[in-house]
Amino acid sequence: MSSGVCLRVLRAAGSPPAASSGSWSRVRLPADPRHAPRRGLSASGRGGTMNVFNREMKKKQKEWAASLRDGDQFDYLRDEVGGRVADRVYDIVRTFPLALDIGGGKSHIAGHLSKKQSRRSEIPTHRLLADEEFLPFKENTFDLVVSSLSLHWINDLPGALRQIQQVLKPDGVFIGAMVGGETLYELRCSLQLAETEREGGFSPHVSPYTAVTDLGNLLGRAGFSMLTVDVDDVQVNYPGIIEVMTDLQGMGESNCAWNRKSLLHRDTILAAEAIYKEMYGNEDGSIPATFEILYMIGWKPHESQAKPAKRGSANVSFGDLSKISQPTNTNTS
Amino acid sequence: MSGSNAWTRSRERMRLFPELFAQCAGEAATYGRCVAATTTGRQELRKDMCAKEFEALKTCFTNAAKRKAK
Repeated sequence: MSSGVCLRVLRAAGSPPAASSGSWSRVRLPADPRHAPRRGLSASGRGGTMNVFNREMKKKQKEWAASLRDGDQFDYLRDEVGGRVADRVYDIVRTFPLALDIGGGKSHIAGHLSKKQSRRSEIPTHRLLADEEFLPFKENTFDLVVSSLSLHWINDLPGALRQIQQVLKPDGVFIGAMVGGETLYELRCSLQLAETEREGGFSPHVSPYTAVTDLGNLLGRAGFSMLTVDVDDVQVNYPGIIEVMTDLQGMGESNCAWNRKSLLHRDTILAAEAIYKEMYGNEDGSIPATFEILYMIGWKPHESQAKPAKRGSANVSFGDLSKISQPTNTNTS
Repeated sequence: MSGSNAWTRSRERMRLFPELFAQCAGEAATYGRCVAATTTGRQELRKDMCAKEFEALKTCFTNAAKRKAK
């Protein structure tokens, strides 16, 4: 969510910390649509490229959100997910000299990594404004690529994952978190019911998400091995539907799909608020909003990684399973 | 964008929304229950199926707004 074109170089003051993660160097990549020829055209998909989101609009929304004076109040979700991604990075017992944070924004992930080392040293950072679908890096550059809550606005997700796989060194790892599946289903259903009852039809207001089941396929096709995908539900309680939408706007997460309707009638808003409170409200009058976060870990293939055993190399038989429960004949005095 | 324009004015109006809505909790619950009933019932939700309940909610809401404006 950084604004404008910035090429800031932050260097660490003092020596790098001698903790288990070793020294870091990081490049951050907020989203910015380049004017590639195929993207500037109409909303319909061309060739194999999906064109669901208006990337130009998304850039404007993120810049507006970043320019808010009190924008820090909307950071709770990104901070929380950034912390959980940092946990997963720490789970891997390895040193990563060079890492890339895609869609870093206010560097929520790095904030958690620095704190855990219990030192005020800043991770050396270079910031770049570039498009997530056109990574400007050579192949085999990075040991670690992280991404938190920015992949859900990419048009060509398979292509972006393939590029991430390419910029990784062999035996490098990609750790990502994206919203998916049933995120904001309460908001989506309330608006849908309200629009149907008030206006006779409905149009999508919440952008489409990737399902958990598709994520494994996507990572596999992109060339990752040893995949791990898990789902986490973050439920945030709000006073009302207006607050939900204001917070989403403040996070820079307003809808930018081409097929979105830019107008929401006030009758519909009133009806949606009533439906949301009645169908999903908590006892204390607040309403929950669910964010289903999908975490994915994928490794770039390398000879040192464990491979499935060759056919016919088994040296125990399934028939021996029944003998496991029987006690072996040992010397009993 | 500084100064007063359509967006700043509508955002100001939206800020009053929760306070006004809180005064019509009863009507809102009735309308919500009417719509929620259609999701479980056999009939599909159609336009104006709960129009009466919504009219009650809207009247309460506009009255609350008038009282606030006074």
